[in-house]
Amino acid sequence: MSMLRLRQAAPALLIAAALLTLSACGMTEYPNSTFNPNSDFNTAIDNLFDRLLFWGTIVFVVVEAALIFTIFRFRKRPGGAAPKQIHGNVALEISWTVIPAVILVLIAIPTVKTIFETQAPAPAGALTVEVTGHQWWWEFHYPEFGFSTANEVYIPLGRTTNFVLKTKDVLHSFWIPQMGGKRDLITNKTNYMWFTPNADLGSSAWNGFCTEYCGSSHANMKFRLFTVEPAEFESWARHQATVAVPHRTPATGAPGTPGTTTLVTVASNPSVTVTDSVPAAEPEIGYFFPAADLPDHVIPKTPIPADLPFDDGLLAGGDATRGQQSFILGGCIGCHAINGNPMAMSPIGPNLTHLATRHTIGGGLFTNDAPTLARWIKNAKKMKPGALMNTIGIGEYEPLLKGPVTAGLTDAQIADVVAYLRSLK
Amino acid sequence: MSSQTAHTAPSAAAGHDEGHAHTHHTSTGLDNRKIAIWAFIGSECMLFASLIATYMIYKGRSLVGPFPHTEYVNEAGKVFKPILDIPVTSASTFVLLMSSLFMVLALQAVQLKGTMIPAGAGTWTRLQRSSQLWLGMTALFGAIFLGFQAYEFTSFVHEGLTIKTNLFGSSFFTLTGFHGAHVTVGVLWLMSLLWVDRTRGLGPQDELLVDIAALYWHFVDVVWIVIFTLVYLIQ
Amino acid sequence: MASIAAPTTASHASTEPENTGIWSWITTVDHKRIGTLYLWTALFFFIVGGFEATLIRTQLMRPNMGFVSAETYNQLFTMHGTTMVFLAVMPLSAAFFNFLIPLQIGARDVAFPRLNAFSYWVYLLGGIFITLPILFQVAPDAGWFGYAPLTTTRFSSGPNIDFWVLGLQILGISSLAAAFNFITTIINLRAPGMTLMRMPMFTWMSFVVQFLVILAFPPITIALFFLLMDRFFGTTFYAIAAGADPLLWQHLFWVFGHPEVYILILPAFGLVSEVLPTFSRKPLFGYNVMVYSGIMIGFLGFGVWAHHMFAVGMGAVADSIFSLMTMLIAIPTGVKIFNWIATMWSGEIRFTVSMKFAIALIAMFTIGGISGVMHSSPPADLQQTDTYFVVAHFHYVLFGGSIMGIFAGIYFYYPKMTGRHLNETQGNWHFWLNLIGMNLTFFPMHFSGLLGMSRRIYTYDAGQGFDMFNLLATYGTYLLVVATAVFVWNFIRSHTRGEIAGNDPWGAPTLEWSIPSPPPEYNFAKLPSVTSRYPLWDLNNPEMTSEIAHSAADAKVITDSHAVPMHIETETHTAKELGIPMPFPTAKPFVVAFSMVVMFCGLLFLRNDMFALSMTVTISGALVMVAGLYSWLTSPLE
Repeated sequence: MSMLRLRQAAPALLIAAALLTLSACGMTEYPNSTFNPNSDFNTAIDNLFDRLLFWGTIVFVVVEAALIFTIFRFRKRPGGAAPKQIHGNVALEISWTVIPAVILVLIAIPTVKTIFETQAPAPAGALTVEVTGHQWWWEFHYPEFGFSTANEVYIPLGRTTNFVLKTKDVLHSFWIPQMGGKRDLITNKTNYMWFTPNADLGSSAWNGFCTEYCGSSHANMKFRLFTVEPAEFESWARHQATVAVPHRTPATGAPGTPGTTTLVTVASNPSVTVTDSVPAAEPEIGYFFPAADLPDHVIPKTPIPADLPFDDGLLAGGDATRGQQSFILGGCIGCHAINGNPMAMSPIGPNLTHLATRHTIGGGLFTNDAPTLARWIKNAKKMKPGALMNTIGIGEYEPLLKGPVTAGLTDAQIADVVAYLRSLK
Repeated sequence: MSSQTAHTAPSAAAGHDEGHAHTHHTSTGLDNRKIAIWAFIGSECMLFASLIATYMIYKGRSLVGPFPHTEYVNEAGKVFKPILDIPVTSASTFVLLMSSLFMVLALQAVQLKGTMIPAGAGTWTRLQRSSQLWLGMTALFGAIFLGFQAYEFTSFVHEGLTIKTNLFGSSFFTLTGFHGAHVTVGVLWLMSLLWVDRTRGLGPQDELLVDIAALYWHFVDVVWIVIFTLVYLIQ
Repeated sequence: MASIAAPTTASHASTEPENTGIWSWITTVDHKRIGTLYLWTALFFFIVGGFEATLIRTQLMRPNMGFVSAETYNQLFTMHGTTMVFLAVMPLSAAFFNFLIPLQIGARDVAFPRLNAFSYWVYLLGGIFITLPILFQVAPDAGWFGYAPLTTTRFSSGPNIDFWVLGLQILGISSLAAAFNFITTIINLRAPGMTLMRMPMFTWMSFVVQFLVILAFPPITIALFFLLMDRFFGTTFYAIAAGADPLLWQHLFWVFGHPEVYILILPAFGLVSEVLPTFSRKPLFGYNVMVYSGIMIGFLGFGVWAHHMFAVGMGAVADSIFSLMTMLIAIPTGVKIFNWIATMWSGEIRFTVSMKFAIALIAMFTIGGISGVMHSSPPADLQQTDTYFVVAHFHYVLFGGSIMGIFAGIYFYYPKMTGRHLNETQGNWHFWLNLIGMNLTFFPMHFSGLLGMSRRIYTYDAGQGFDMFNLLATYGTYLLVVATAVFVWNFIRSHTRGEIAGNDPWGAPTLEWSIPSPPPEYNFAKLPSVTSRYPLWDLNNPEMTSEIAHSAADAKVITDSHAVPMHIETETHTAKELGIPMPFPTAKPFVVAFSMVVMFCGLLFLRNDMFALSMTVTISGALVMVAGLYSWLTSPLE
């Protein structure tokens, strides 16, 4: 019986050992690990966790060893003497009350210290990023620069960023495992969390998650954090603060002389005119994290639904100017703001001003490429369960209507919108 | 040593416990229902504590009025005076407190029922034994308290405070509503005791039933005192 | 009040011990039968919850699995939690409260037998009420903890949350009623000589649990009531626009929720404290300390609730206080582990299946306890909370703790309940599959959690480092399915094929083992009096208890209660033969329970503009309930 027990306990022990060793592996296998001291916050947490793990392991080994020893040593043997009837021992009771208490004190002191350190007001000179949670996407506002973006947040290495956390709807939680702990976004309350990414990290991309159950697509409410060199950050932020500059050829073939502005009537809806500006020169786009440098773990692999057809051939012929008109026709301006497009000023949905500088769409769920974007526009709800974005594609089912969309955009029009949006660098 | 104490041998296989009317043996000497009512009251303390804590948490946090102790002017310019009427509620509190006094007298009456009235005893001595009177007075004053509550609630609604208006309205009406529901249950309980008294009569053997009702009634009164203090008196 | 009937005229008394028709089950007020009902129903819901878990784990087996939709998944994880907590583990404990407590304290039944039956029926009907919606895909879907404002109508406009709120209120009534009953029973119906400090540990832990229930359920009742008022009547308790504070819900919920986890574990601790001494052939080490630590856990359990809220931003001071309180509560909990090991130390251990489960609880709960202490440090917890690390923690304490302890109790007490043993070979298979399956399922979650996997997500992407842990966990789940199947087969089959058991198959020390298996309807022919904590060892193995103090039981008390010194009873009679008045079987508790649940059903229609229908149903239910209650309160018990 005893050998049998040991043999059968072995698998569990082996698995445990294997897993423990695996945990020592690095970034590529475990790209969202909480164990890396990438920031001051995470370093403090790591130090604390090391202590917890240390004492936890000791307690584990001592208790389990005592247990295993006891059940082997004192198993019933034939012809064994009757056991001595011991009812208690005061010295033992005191010892095994006091010793755990001492261990807990050794945990408690650094704990309280770290609580106060990490929850102190953010150091002076910290960058402020206002985070607003929505079902199921992330709004990031940079008050010092005066712009809002969505689902991608850039912060400088070696400088503290203070995240101001709010939510417009239900509870969410802001978490970048590699950078530190999480903080909830509570309705009618403002929370704060700050940390300083280590200066020596080099420009890196990290995954962020919502970690407070917030409804249908809680699992799909992701974001990307880019910790970049200070100069890169400045470049990025300054550019994001500018108006969107569409890069495309003028639709009507009329004077597209750089530096001129013409009013263009929207053909299908004559009461609407848009300003058609051609920039004086190809303006400089600020820094944004090069696609080529994206590590695999920040590239989404969410499958596209098979039953969402789109004629990808249309994408090549997409026209950005027509797209800017269709952006109005399709109702997009009801929710999306684009700086520089005076028709698009709604704060309800993600700000799309420099969408073409982002690597993901749909709350960090899909890659930002033309075919994906087209399908997203066509039927976001099918791409992302419960998404609050209206279904735009004509003929696609819209749950709110309990029927197919009739007032929407055709695939061709969607291709135009895609072209427009992808020109927003 | 395992004890083989001698004991009075039970009668044979028929081991019949009953030869007289008796209560089942209990470890404490108290009736089961007495213990149960105390456990129930303990639980109810947590119930009201949660309601009161909610009221306190939301105190001062309503975005719109009317407010309990301060004036409110809405966007249209309409003025709402502080909505709580402390003098009136003080009166209803007094009524409820008096009802507890009557409850004490009702219990005493039941305990004294059937005992000898000393020669030369006056009206009061006779009245002391009138459990119907005191049960009735307790229920009546409980009902009067409820009447005051009904008046208060309807006048608040007229003045613009409903349960949906703001955090104050929701927490206030729910808290006092729960309390009022408890008073109502108490009044119905007392009225059934009164009914039993009128039909078969309540005597010292029924002391437990009245005692339990009294415990419940006093508890409801104490809760009111806490509510009155925290909601009405403390600003 | 007892009637003064001579044996021959006790015509109303239940005198048919073999009455097994369905009507006998509906009208029973016998604590043993009610305990049996709880056991079967709870095992059924345990399987339901396990099935939900299996679907969850299949969906999570691979990244972007697509086995179930997001909406279905969200209903599954909500119902898994709700089912396991309220419909499986608590009622499994209740099965033991019911069956065992009167027997352990030497009583004929609980203080309020009809209220006892009422508690069961309310549980059954409430369980059906909250589970049925999943068949129509409108099951609750906001998590077992239902945070506001997600649960308000603005974000959950369907009936799902209505079922959840009303269902939990119904189940709360069941637990509360039972708690009042057991508190009274334990305080008042102990056999002469059985002081509180002579009660068996299971009864002691259950006693603490009942206080936790009566004090912890009111806050969640109020939290749910507020949600109900918001959803049905437009109040503002959790309304964003009115400036409501979502933390109100969280605080109220966790003031309930934390004592709730002690409600879930203490009965299992109690069962283990019965099993270990019996199979070590030694008394429980440190009985007094075990009692006091149980009381401390219950008491301190009310002071730690906000450790579930370390990420909400309560501030450094609040975080610190709750952190310290949480660490404090680890001490009495740890003390129990040591006392159990010391119980076995220098004992003579018999490795029955029951004993194996009890030992497994010690091993597994230790792991869960250690991860619990890791959670107690807020900065570290900010990495752990809302990740799979927490899922690992609580499954170690709930599955490795509560469930293992309950299985220890089932294997131990099955002979007492049915008169037959469970098959040991199948039991061993169940045990090992369970132990390996449980560890394979939940140990990897420590890793996936700290390597970045959030909780309550219906899927995860590839390349995030979660894949292998999830795959292993799913394999472990399938092992658990097999383990459970083996157990169910054993449980059902042994009712008729199991080896016959006598009064005391294990050589245990406490009163329940002095009477036949299964016990006669009246429990004890003569109420026993006891002189020590181990009455049966006093009788059967006096050398084991020779060194502890024994009292001479109070002679007057014995005479008053007609108790006799505790002895082995081997003959089974009917109550009628012995002239013991038994409570009348009655359907009134069922009627009152049913009509009360009908009232709640009526409320379901309120949100759908079916006011007339709602009022009709609710008022009909209310009328029947009042009539039933009146009839119940005015008819004699026995």
